[in-house]
Amino acid sequence: MGLVEESRAIPIVDVSVIVRTGSLVDPEGEEGLARMAARLVRMGTNTRSAEEIDETIEALGASLSVDVTHGTTRFFGSVIQRNFAPFLEIIGELLTSPGLRARDLAIIRREALAELLAQRDNDRWLASRAFRTLLFGAHPYARSPLGSARSIRAVRRDDVVRFVERNFTGNNLVVGISGDVEGADVPRLVERAFGTLPARAVPEVQLAKPTRTRGRRIVVIDKPGRTQTQMFVGTLGSRLRDADFHALLVANTAFGGTFTARLVREVRVKRGWSYSAHSRLGADREREAWSLYTHPSSENAVDCLALQLGLVERFVRAGVTGRELAFAKSYLIKSHAFDVDTPQKRVEPRLDCEIHGLPASFHERFVEHVRAVDREAANEAVARRLSDRDIAVALVATASEIVEPLRALGGLTVEVVPFARV
Amino acid sequence: MNSSAKKRTAKIEQLGSQPFGPALTISRYRLANGLSILVVPDHSAPIISYHTWFKVGSRNEQPGKTGQAHLLEHLMFIETKNLGEGEFDRLLEAEGGENNAATWVDWTYYYENVPASAFQVVVDLESDRIANLVLSTDRVASEKEVVESERRDRVEDDVDGAVSERLYAMAFGREHPYGWPTIGWMRDIEAFSPDDCRRFYRAHYAPDTATIIVAGDIEPIDALASIQRAYGALAPGKRPAAKPVRIPRLRGEKSRTMYWPTPTEKLAVGWIAPAFADRDHAVVTVLDQLLVGGRSSRLYADLVREREIATEVRMSLAPFQATSLLDVWVSMREGHHTPEALRLLDKHMRRLATELVSEAELNKVKNRLELGFLGSLETVPGKAETIGFSETVVGDPGHAFVRLAEYRGVTADDVRRVARGLVASGRVVIRVLPESRRGKA
Repeated sequence: MGLVEESRAIPIVDVSVIVRTGSLVDPEGEEGLARMAARLVRMGTNTRSAEEIDETIEALGASLSVDVTHGTTRFFGSVIQRNFAPFLEIIGELLTSPGLRARDLAIIRREALAELLAQRDNDRWLASRAFRTLLFGAHPYARSPLGSARSIRAVRRDDVVRFVERNFTGNNLVVGISGDVEGADVPRLVERAFGTLPARAVPEVQLAKPTRTRGRRIVVIDKPGRTQTQMFVGTLGSRLRDADFHALLVANTAFGGTFTARLVREVRVKRGWSYSAHSRLGADREREAWSLYTHPSSENAVDCLALQLGLVERFVRAGVTGRELAFAKSYLIKSHAFDVDTPQKRVEPRLDCEIHGLPASFHERFVEHVRAVDREAANEAVARRLSDRDIAVALVATASEIVEPLRALGGLTVEVVPFARV
Repeated sequence: MNSSAKKRTAKIEQLGSQPFGPALTISRYRLANGLSILVVPDHSAPIISYHTWFKVGSRNEQPGKTGQAHLLEHLMFIETKNLGEGEFDRLLEAEGGENNAATWVDWTYYYENVPASAFQVVVDLESDRIANLVLSTDRVASEKEVVESERRDRVEDDVDGAVSERLYAMAFGREHPYGWPTIGWMRDIEAFSPDDCRRFYRAHYAPDTATIIVAGDIEPIDALASIQRAYGALAPGKRPAAKPVRIPRLRGEKSRTMYWPTPTEKLAVGWIAPAFADRDHAVVTVLDQLLVGGRSSRLYADLVREREIATEVRMSLAPFQATSLLDVWVSMREGHHTPEALRLLDKHMRRLATELVSEAELNKVKNRLELGFLGSLETVPGKAETIGFSETVVGDPGHAFVRLAEYRGVTADDVRRVARGLVASGRVVIRVLPESRRGKA
């Protein structure tokens, strides 16, 4: 249950306690349940209120946050070394005897609704949300762990209690400790903190395969007064277990993964259109998104989209050059030193393997995997996994200024959604 | 790259060493041309972080030419007499390195994080661009567009950025070097010519205006040999004397209302605060943490948790050399209005100004600050940045540990005294209302 990375360099300890269940199990109509459950657990215990817990944690010189993704619920934080043991005990107390009070759930519900509303100020979040909805459709990967206003209101305390009882078990927990700790002490401390959780296996979530929707589709999130256009362009990407995952990773690095990659060169360096420009290969149990991100000015947005669609076409049809591939491999291999330069970074890939059921060699032999990729393998992976015909585009713009020029590009369906409805 | 090998004879002088925490040592050197070098061997990982800090920032600009320091920072990556366009980044990435830079009011710094084996590549690249930068018309034009994109992203379309920019302008004045935005006003960015950039580069970039920090898996003797070879022949600059920064006094309350396409109201309040090196800067940091540092802090607990009138409350204290700004940001919940938040902020400030904080509450805040301090030193690049900042702003590369001791020494009386000063001083208040309220407020 516990993974440890020791380092005496700085008197600080980082702690990650991960429940291997996330928002994918949220029932339809109750999206946001896993996140609300995690936050309710963080609120207090049977004997200590939220205020007491916060006072105690902060007095220790510690911080404790909660993050819920599709596949995990993570409690993570840091503490000054001298207070590591009591900090771990508090996290243990929260997980083994959570208060789960109705009053606290009502507070969390109101907080979640307010946070959802506040996201409307965040154009990048709006574009990202719309992109995933368009790309994944009815698949659970389209969901936001935040849920919607309606689903947040639908979550009841009984649902949260059932969620916690079912998923917060010893068998479903992974603990990562890194920093200034005595490794030999950790198993005992972890056992003392979490040992009373029931030893019960949690069934694996059944997850359908995402399907690719045909055609090139655009959703415009209409917001007044925009001077720039937050934009995501993409298609389905990869699974972690795909045999060609590392080949696709190398190809993506060559396409848009570094500052000198093709996408950055064309969008930023040659044309000065967007301060940020990069592509990202997501990967999970099933195929996640492969996406390009830029934020051109309103004036350049349509041209920038046309350029990106052209770059995707060329990438999917012709792949990367031998020179680009060699450069990307060299970059990934040499920069790997920065993936393991702190104890926290060293424990993270081990946690990742535990969570996803991957062999330890997946990360341990990262450099060998990358070194083994040749141009043929990289370009085959690109052609096999990615599509230049079935593409989702989401952008935040003032619709009246952009819809007609977008339609004039041809071969695209364009839908407009007011930003207040995302 | 540098072709002046015959002239690489500049003497190097050791100026002493000092501890950086319990385990590390900073050694200080200077080349005859004025280049300062700080070396911190740290063998915790096989990497090196190489920082070059210049004492030039937006305070060295003029009204009408704002954003010059930041634009030049962008242009430093493009092209030199020895390296074609994009080669700087390509050579670094080929070594598995990453690089970036930052500009603020008092400084500009550049960094490279590389595997230890690539140290010489970094030294060659940095020593080249300090003397051989090419600023062509096309590239200046293109990079201005990139900066305009950055400004649209961070200011024009971002409510936090737009409010922060106005807060500083109102607090210091639009003609004060801390009052204009470091990224520059949009019309100034659009108007820059290559000649503007060349003048600024010649005035402020030279070995005697720079400090190099080398932290990581290297010994001083090896680092110095490379640096001496690469920088030794560079001539010192003729930098204009820096004008002192006037410290403004705010009297009364300056307020303004902005309208924005946002669903909820926002509040920003700013006070002029002490310079970074002043011990009272540490006291204001403690005060800031008492109010918004963590979920049990006073203002957060009151506005976000108990009354549920805000979704977010945060404060920031600028780390400026001459004087700074303390600001509060409150994002209201739907149906709640900024006067409620302002009234409660005033109540908490008055309480700090009249009642002594308990030892337990003070210790909680000090522990949190210690955690934040240690967290900033977890990585080799984090150490290099901390040292570079301290050297540039305070003149003491180990000042971070002095500051930690100052946090530890802050008393309840200190907090009350500083709070009294803030309550008695003038301030700036900005209210942001949803567009739909325009004409109705």
